[in-house]
Amino acid sequence: MIEIRNMTTSYGRGELFRVAGLTLKTGEITAVIGRNGSGKSTLLKTLAGFLKYQGSITIRGRECRDYSARERAREIAWLSQMLKTVQMDVETLAEHGRYPHHGSTRRMGDADREKVKEALRMTGMEKMAKRSLQELSGGERQRAYLAMVIAQDTPMILLDEPTTYMDLVYQKTFFEILQRLKQSGRGIVLSVHHLEQCFAFCDSICLMDQRTLVRKATPEEWAKDTDTLRAVFGIEMKKTEDRELMYPYMIRR
Amino acid sequence: MRRYVTAGIVLILAAAAALLCGNSAIGAGDVLRTLAGNGTRAQQVIVFQVRLPRIAAALLSGAALSVSGYLLQNNLNNAVASPGLLGINNGAGLFVLISALVFPYQAGMKCVMAFAGALAVTLLVSLLSSGTGLSKTSVILSGVAVSAVCVAAADVIISVRPETVADKTAFQLGGFGDVSLTTVSIAAPVIVTMLALAFVLAGGMDLMALGDEVAQGLGVHVRMYRLIYLLCASLLAGAAVSMSGMIGFVGLMVPNLVRMVHRGKSRGGIALCMMVGSAFLLLCDTLARAIVFPYELPCGLLLSALGAPFLIWMLVRKRKRLGVND
Repeated sequence: MIEIRNMTTSYGRGELFRVAGLTLKTGEITAVIGRNGSGKSTLLKTLAGFLKYQGSITIRGRECRDYSARERAREIAWLSQMLKTVQMDVETLAEHGRYPHHGSTRRMGDADREKVKEALRMTGMEKMAKRSLQELSGGERQRAYLAMVIAQDTPMILLDEPTTYMDLVYQKTFFEILQRLKQSGRGIVLSVHHLEQCFAFCDSICLMDQRTLVRKATPEEWAKDTDTLRAVFGIEMKKTEDRELMYPYMIRR
Repeated sequence: MRRYVTAGIVLILAAAAALLCGNSAIGAGDVLRTLAGNGTRAQQVIVFQVRLPRIAAALLSGAALSVSGYLLQNNLNNAVASPGLLGINNGAGLFVLISALVFPYQAGMKCVMAFAGALAVTLLVSLLSSGTGLSKTSVILSGVAVSAVCVAAADVIISVRPETVADKTAFQLGGFGDVSLTTVSIAAPVIVTMLALAFVLAGGMDLMALGDEVAQGLGVHVRMYRLIYLLCASLLAGAAVSMSGMIGFVGLMVPNLVRMVHRGKSRGGIALCMMVGSAFLLLCDTLARAIVFPYELPCGLLLSALGAPFLIWMLVRKRKRLGVND
């Protein structure tokens, strides 16, 4: 569990990013939404320990800044929105997810190999394990990186705009994978632009606006408070139960 | 596995050829007898004080320069980064000359100054190009500029005080004609330690290839690792220069050749670079001795003849990746 209390982070040209209070639980999918520049990535990067902060962020009761880089990587996995296409096969990439557990000096053991295999199975990348990242499509590459993050086997997973390069079918598969991760007890926090997806698949939604957390609420609560969404996004929205839609929950009016 | 065995066999053959080849006519039987301790006094001097130190120097320099190039290329994400092109070799060479001026009779200082020169140039190039986020073009341009300054300063020293180097051409081009057991014994521990360190910490480099943020997310202390890798690369190049002079192109060619056949983890790449680099430099040195027998070409001259076309080939082949859009 991650708890944030009175946290501020400065970034860019001294701009301040603020979160008064936020609790992120394991076994839950939390979406972070907001307009471009609202602070979605900053929130995730601060949680991942990349940015210095004032105030308090605790991971399982221990202050985030007190963790060493590897200790933190055993608690929180992070997937950037900028994924490199390097000369590396999918299996090797997934194996890198075990680095926080064995470090530079120890070799991978049987337990590590099993975790890698499970991650490849979960993401449907088993058959592509020996293929180079350079041969994959954008969506497949994103799934390969997701396999790495799953192999990291952390209680919390942070995903920064993970569906950017995925087509609609992959997006659906991706959220199904997240559901399975959630069922295995992991907490997932992801920043997304598609409100339909997060209203359909997430347990709670954090709305960011002007580098501040507005509110964390469930999709049902947000469905009753479309005024706030309209104020932030400037778009009218409504709840729908239309079964013909892939994400039959919240659509733009 | 097959490529490691092949590289190992080539390395052994290259070492055997280097041991048998030389100005003095000693047959294979004589060499073996001398190695077993039954050679004449003259044969013992030739084998133990001339050929073996030379082989050791070529082996160590080849491994050091190749791994140095591999570390630089991976860390700067630049296929043409090498200790030669970034001016590290020239910086080390300049400091070796300064040590010959200031501490003329201390072989140990030559090594220490070579390390200092290599480090100073690495830091200077990093500082000069950091303003543009260590972009590919700016790193190479900074390296070329710093290298030119070092070469000019070295030329001034050699012109004013020619006694600082025994053979000006051999020093500037690089070669193993002047190698002594003392120089090898001072540089060897540094090279072995740095190679071991690079090998042990190679895992972090694989992760950093995925981008700094991804590596950080996996628990790599990116800044610290990058500093260690650059330190290793500088000390390896400095140690090689203290033995072989300003030898160039090995650090450029070998890592690129290795990367053509090895696409796996960096640890394997480093191991291959060590073997291929050693074998390559040994073969070049043996060829340099044999090509105009009984005279000897500086090994660096042969390397330049091979390296310059290789660089042009790389520029043509990877034009897009070399920062045209940088």
